[in-house]
Amino acid sequence: MRLSHGFVRGEALSCIYHGWSYARSGNCLRIPAHPGLTPPETIRVGTHAVEESDGVIWVAVGVPTAQPPRLEGVVPLRSLTAHTGVAAVEAAAGAKAGAVGLVWQAQDAQQIRLLLAPQGDEQTLIHVLLDHNSSLSQRIGASRAVERLRRAAEDLQTKGIAP
Amino acid sequence: MMQDAMIDEWYPVGLFSQLDVKGRKTALMGEPIEVALDAERRARVTCGDGRTLPVCVRYGHVWSSLGKPQKDLFAIPEADQPGRRLVDVGAIRVRCSPLRAVENFLDIAHFPFVHTDILGAEPHTEVQDYKVEIRQKEDEVWATQVKFYQPKAAKSASGGITTEYMYRVPAPTCSVLYKTCPPRPGEWDVITLFVQPLAEDLCDVWPWMALFDDVTPMTDLIHFQQTIFLQDRSILENQIPRLLPLDPGMEIPTRADLTSVAYRRWLKRHNYTYGAQLVAQ
Repeated sequence: MRLSHGFVRGEALSCIYHGWSYARSGNCLRIPAHPGLTPPETIRVGTHAVEESDGVIWVAVGVPTAQPPRLEGVVPLRSLTAHTGVAAVEAAAGAKAGAVGLVWQAQDAQQIRLLLAPQGDEQTLIHVLLDHNSSLSQRIGASRAVERLRRAAEDLQTKGIAP
Repeated sequence: MMQDAMIDEWYPVGLFSQLDVKGRKTALMGEPIEVALDAERRARVTCGDGRTLPVCVRYGHVWSSLGKPQKDLFAIPEADQPGRRLVDVGAIRVRCSPLRAVENFLDIAHFPFVHTDILGAEPHTEVQDYKVEIRQKEDEVWATQVKFYQPKAAKSASGGITTEYMYRVPAPTCSVLYKTCPPRPGEWDVITLFVQPLAEDLCDVWPWMALFDDVTPMTDLIHFQQTIFLQDRSILENQIPRLLPLDPGMEIPTRADLTSVAYRRWLKRHNYTYGAQLVAQ
């Protein structure tokens, strides 16, 4: 179970399954099934450097060498998971992702910015950002367009067209 | 995979009450099968390769096997006790290992976090010590003297009570839970988890109940169980790794997990490995 399914209470991050909670430095603070037990130091999870910038939370896999890229003029819309790799999403969008994501020209001519985060097991987390001036109907349209893009990417994967 | 000892076990493949002559297409351990009533209104199970598979009808369900079962389906004596309501809940499809579905059923520590305000609630999170054994004669895993505070232990419960549980694992993908019966102290409600392995990472979960409850409408009893199992599904479909590890690895079991530890050990001893991961990762 990933801790990302869990919940934050106070300064601790808790697992949604059994409620084990962890401090900022990764050590386990509490095992609710055994409230009298002080968790040993050996029970800990890995931690990563995080940075919040322009409405997006960035996490560094290793030691970061620079600040996250700026994303000025856009606002986050939503995130969704595609059951396929990054390459299939790029193939479906007809564009490659760069340092500041993938700029996708959707069919209705609006420009959508996609941040693609590979999840390891043939899944890609897609974060969708739009021009901060976009109207409600443009936002709804963009949300549906990205769902179509996800289906197209997953179809490419199924048919074995994309790597 | 076909060397797995699980091939010769019985598995639920449908509700007898819902069978008809047209039949139901489903799967068992990766093989397509069809479950139907024959002209004499007896259940008949056929495999994709044309074989007629062994059949028995018990506890509301049709049971079958791809192999040759060496013994009868396990007994649940309470199923024949007069006065019990027998509840066919139906199937819940879960994209998880059939063994993971059973292990989650054996776990009580998740109640306050996954079944919040129904089967558990903070701050009542403590799992007190209980007893676990592998009963040699019956060849079953048993956990007894399991106690837990529950805000709403059953559809018939009107307030919070400390519920006592007993768990049985009589077959690799089946568990029988005996639970304090709110309207009839001294008796146990029986709630079972019968799991049909469709593939190593996909199963149909068939809960079934034998309760002392003459009041609650059947629909409400079914809805209560469906609510609980849908909450479990959101956990089960996100577990990593997808297959159940039988060797010690990354996990840190505590005293609360002794039933799970015994279940995994029992699976490994019998070479019940369909849906299991054998090499620690």
